[in-house]
Amino acid sequence: MTTTLFIGLDGCTYTVLDQMTRELPGEGLTMPFMKSLMERGVRAKLRSTPNPLTPPAWTSIMTGKGPGEHGVFDFIRAEDHGGEVYWTLYDARDIDSEIIWAILSRKGKSVAALNFPLTAPAPEDLKGSIVPGFIPAKHLRRNTHPRELFERIKQQIPGFDPKELAWDFDKEKQAMESLSADETAKWVRYHLPREEQWFKVAEFILKNDRPDVMAVMFDGTDKIQHQAWPWLDAALLKAEPTEHDREMRAVCLEYFRNLDGYIEKLVTLAGPEAQVFFASDHGFTASTFVLRINAYLAEKGYLKWAENDGSEQAIRREASDFANLDWAQTTAYCRTPSSNGIHIRVAAKPGDPGIQPKDYESFRERLIADLLALRDPDSGEPVIVDVLKREDWFPGQHMNRACDLTLVLRDHGFVSIRNLTPAVAQRPQAIGTHHPDGIFMAVGPGIPAAGMVGLRQIVDVAPTLLYSAGLPVPADFEGAAAESFFTAEQLTARPPKKGARTRVTERRQLGQEMDAGEKKQIIEQLQMLGYME
Amino acid sequence: MPLSSDDYTQKLITLLEDFTQDWDHDYRGAMQRDTRLFADLAFESIDIIQLVVAIQEEVLRAKAPFEKLLMREGRYVDDLSIGQIADFLAVQAAG
Repeated sequence: MTTTLFIGLDGCTYTVLDQMTRELPGEGLTMPFMKSLMERGVRAKLRSTPNPLTPPAWTSIMTGKGPGEHGVFDFIRAEDHGGEVYWTLYDARDIDSEIIWAILSRKGKSVAALNFPLTAPAPEDLKGSIVPGFIPAKHLRRNTHPRELFERIKQQIPGFDPKELAWDFDKEKQAMESLSADETAKWVRYHLPREEQWFKVAEFILKNDRPDVMAVMFDGTDKIQHQAWPWLDAALLKAEPTEHDREMRAVCLEYFRNLDGYIEKLVTLAGPEAQVFFASDHGFTASTFVLRINAYLAEKGYLKWAENDGSEQAIRREASDFANLDWAQTTAYCRTPSSNGIHIRVAAKPGDPGIQPKDYESFRERLIADLLALRDPDSGEPVIVDVLKREDWFPGQHMNRACDLTLVLRDHGFVSIRNLTPAVAQRPQAIGTHHPDGIFMAVGPGIPAAGMVGLRQIVDVAPTLLYSAGLPVPADFEGAAAESFFTAEQLTARPPKKGARTRVTERRQLGQEMDAGEKKQIIEQLQMLGYME
Repeated sequence: MPLSSDDYTQKLITLLEDFTQDWDHDYRGAMQRDTRLFADLAFESIDIIQLVVAIQEEVLRAKAPFEKLLMREGRYVDDLSIGQIADFLAVQAAG
């Protein structure tokens, strides 16, 4: 019997959800089922990871720990070897904590987790189903756990199409780019059949396998909000919309209407005994300006751009989303737009590029002062409103992998690392960007109709789900079960309990043994995504 | 006893046959040592990432310094044959 249904909604925010769950003039009610759930349940804002980004945030949801402990900070992991920086993608093997799907499986609960990032390769001994997110269609079969599940899905779900369902890197990259009006409408439409495909897989597994804990993540919410924010945020809707504005608004509403239908079917299938939870990895808001952070650092003398000989390769490399710099003359730089952070290059040994270790503190203080001094040339307002030191915000065994400094921009936007000037420029039109506050909601037996309650932290999701499934909360989790999400009767009958610490996975132990003595990290990428030559 | 390059060639062919079984490529012959990933099997750069993960998980059961195979004189190689990967794995195994 399914006791716990967890529906992830990537980037979902109350700014949009509240609109979709009320009658709007001329538009009606877009998500009637979600409205009914919200009326019968409890909800809170959910504070994301310090850099509110999909890989670290979903990993925190899956591990109950912050990035400093679980070790995932970005989409892309870099190894600084002094003279060169190598790039690689994070995958499940980089998560240095037991994920809740593995904990549930180890405790005898059957589980299914669909479309969550960094779930491939799956833990080998996991009893349950994993169809990973963020994996290209060509590799979905091999990364589905167990392998035969993919064949079952392929043969038994009418219309199943991995190409419609899976991650397409070229399309995903568009989420961070400015698109033309036509392309923006296509971008939103592209996600309609994608979500339908994930819904069909979830429906199939819920109906046929009846896992104790069923989890599925819909990520179209994030993707369309990036590009279609001006048609989703009521504050930005035009009083006199053009035909394109009307088309965009209509397709956005269609997306959320469909989503409501999927949620209704899944909740109904899970049955009246199931507790249902929703969470997003972060919220959303409007980004109105671009900060070209490396251009600013170059102006201040912290970095030097790599030579561009004008070749096709050089041009492509410079236009990529990986910093392309003269490493010998760079002391501080931003690696990727999604990191929103600055790395300080510290010389590993005398003669290496970078600052001397003894100068780190003073160098960092000067850099922070320079960052906070940056002003919007039009308004005079600060561009960077906060600078987070890693020891304060990413404590844990992997703190050293974090950016030395994480930036919070005035509009919560992501930086650009392009070699363009000026360093600060207004966007022609607002685009969606991540806000630290996402959603966390619950409904079902043992859950009160309490409406909005106090803020929860992203690391509270995993313990809440484990508690719902009847398990103790591991002692090394950083978060706690959200007690305000449960009725006094339930908490009295079954108080949350602390349990044993999480375990290190088998695969990781093997890898560490065989890696002993190996100093260099594997460089896995070749011409990654066409960005690297 | 460490596996030879020929041993790894066979393991890689088995892996790659499974890896590419439902791909849309025109290669119709049996895979051999000189079969190239990009030119013959229609690899794209993202596929290399997945292949390296699969080799580590299913062939080596360990990590290996793949940068030595993928980079030459600071640049990424244009293509790789199955034999080149097998030679690299054999050197690592002997190593």
